[in-house]
Amino acid sequence: MSYRVVLVESDPKILEELNNTLKKSPDFEVVSTYTKANDALGQSGVYNPKLFLIDIDNAEFLEMLPAFVDIYPNRIILGTMSSWNPDFAQKAAEANIAGCILKPFRANDIIEAMNLYQRRGKFKPARIVSFFSPKGRSGRTTLASLLALDVAKKSGESVALIDADLQFGDLPIFFDVEPDHTVVDAVHDIKMLTPVTLAPYFHKLTENVWLLSSPDRPEYAELVDADGLVSVIRMAGHVFRYVLVDLPAGFNPISVAVSDFADTNFVVAMINTGLEIEHMKRSLSLFKSRVREHKKTCPIFTRVNPCDEAQRVKMEMELGSPIIAIFPNEYNLVSIANSGQILRGLPPDTLMSQTIEKLSEELMYGEL
Amino acid sequence: MAEGRSSIVISIFSTSSGIGKTITAINLAAGLAKEGYAVCLVDLDLQFGDIVNYLRLNPKHTIADAQMSMQINEKNFNVTDYLTDYYHEDGKGNSCKFSVLAPPRTIYDAYVIDVEFVERMIRRLNYFDFVVLDLNAAFSALNLAMLDMSTIINFIGVIDFLPSVKNFKIGYDTLIRFEYEESKIRLVENRADSQKLIDGRDVERLLGERFFHRLPNDFRSVSKSINEGCPLMFAAPSSPLTKSFMDLAGEYTVRHDDEEIAAEVPVQNDGIFSRFFSMFS
Ligand SMILES: Nc1ncnc2c1ncn2[C@@H]1O[C@H](COP(=O)(O)OP(=O)(O)O)[C@@H](O)[C@H]1O
Ligand SMILES: [Mg+2]
Repeated sequence: MSYRVVLVESDPKILEELNNTLKKSPDFEVVSTYTKANDALGQSGVYNPKLFLIDIDNAEFLEMLPAFVDIYPNRIILGTMSSWNPDFAQKAAEANIAGCILKPFRANDIIEAMNLYQRRGKFKPARIVSFFSPKGRSGRTTLASLLALDVAKKSGESVALIDADLQFGDLPIFFDVEPDHTVVDAVHDIKMLTPVTLAPYFHKLTENVWLLSSPDRPEYAELVDADGLVSVIRMAGHVFRYVLVDLPAGFNPISVAVSDFADTNFVVAMINTGLEIEHMKRSLSLFKSRVREHKKTCPIFTRVNPCDEAQRVKMEMELGSPIIAIFPNEYNLVSIANSGQILRGLPPDTLMSQTIEKLSEELMYGEL
Repeated sequence: MAEGRSSIVISIFSTSSGIGKTITAINLAAGLAKEGYAVCLVDLDLQFGDIVNYLRLNPKHTIADAQMSMQINEKNFNVTDYLTDYYHEDGKGNSCKFSVLAPPRTIYDAYVIDVEFVERMIRRLNYFDFVVLDLNAAFSALNLAMLDMSTIINFIGVIDFLPSVKNFKIGYDTLIRFEYEESKIRLVENRADSQKLIDGRDVERLLGERFFHRLPNDFRSVSKSINEGCPLMFAAPSSPLTKSFMDLAGEYTVRHDDEEIAAEVPVQNDGIFSRFFSMFS
């Protein structure tokens, strides 16, 4: 079967070039070409196309993507651009198209991109979630891992875990893997990458959960600048529908830049002496002072005992702000992490697993 | 004390947090003070420092105020003005007194702390016999500068959790790679006798280095000490942990007996160490 393609390209020379390329491929049949997006929008329907390739270097065409999605639902729409422009790509994602590719392309590039975007999940913008903790040993990494697994399972969409705890990232140990690539490589190469070429930097953990590892020496953290890391996370949002980023403890250039960029920040502290509520207060006041309107800051406490509603209310009073979730002490977790068997997941029907499930549902469909 | 003589700077460092640096720093400082030395305890966990919380101190000034004053007029800056005294007596003739340099009050204040100012501040503390530095768990510019200034680095780990073992190993290897003298680095195992899956001796094999000291687990006493806001010698005078801290303090004073080998602690082994050996090979 070949894809019936509509090509929309404002530059006639490029249009001809792309048309010629696709003509040579048995996988594609160009049914119509346009140099004006509104012509394409009005007329393409008669050709019953399956795939739209729309030039989004052109600002006007970019603006019209939502109209295409509206009039041609269930068709695949790819934005085309001459070099990767994160802002254009973002705008295209917000229009709920499948994704973007670079021009000039070969037939195979389109197939790769379509496969990637289909694997990614719904044609909707990515959710970028950061996991921050004032101090280490908070349960932050455990929470990020368990949520990643559960969201992937429930949504069937693809989930990335990015280990941005650059000096002492624990995710490779949690999953007992030794990935070939790390955040350092991805940040180093990011200027030359596209979603299709970034994808192989991630290590496959399950059918739809992927890990971008931290480097194996603390000093390599120096090689990662905050802007570069944010670019990687941003592009990862075009490869994965959910991007969960595990941050280093405390406020530093990396944790600040990533939580600024994320749409949702989980702030995780483990109850030990009780002073953790103070640490949380301190962190929240800083988050709140810099949060943009659409962002969510979600305080979470782990190892809460007793772990019940009354305790939550009590802690909320002390904290002076709502607490999104409290987790019980789950002794099993230590041995699960020690044995690298987190993939097996938690024993079902425990308070811990129920709390995780509730949180991932809220993240997927709810308020968060 | 003789002019120009410098203090013994003991830093407490780790590469995982929540493993007992602050507890160690406080009790080491208290132990040294108890032996009659002039001790200053500096909280360099700038964002979330706990010393003033653990000791229930209400500092008038913090390290941020000190830096500000140095910036305005370093010549007239007197570090003593920025220290907070900790003093406790138990009514039975036992007392202990040391100074504390408190951490900034807010994260904003923490952000403006400059490594070079801290270095100069620490040097000005040279009228103390001992300066104990409580650090946080990262290879930051500040921590590295402090490790550079340290006479002794206590590198602490709790080895019940595989990620912590990994971080302990990576941290130690990194210190060696950064060319800190091995003799300066003292490995301290905290909560050494707690029920756990990993054997301390396996970790020693992994690191190729013995533990210099082992601190037993005593959650109850530590909690009591934090609740009462005083060091273990007052909150739990008869705890083995209290004794162990006194021994550690003894190691850094002339009093100490030579070549005391770290106590053997009974440990349980579940065979998972093979996993971390393969992990690092
Ligand atoms: N030897 C010990 N026995 C029992 N609990 C301990 C011990 N050392 C530390 N803890 C516990 O660990 C917690 C964290 O200790 P802390 O000194 O604040 O760690 P850090 O400064 O490394 O973050 C303490 O509140 C205490 O409950
Ligand atoms: Mg501390």
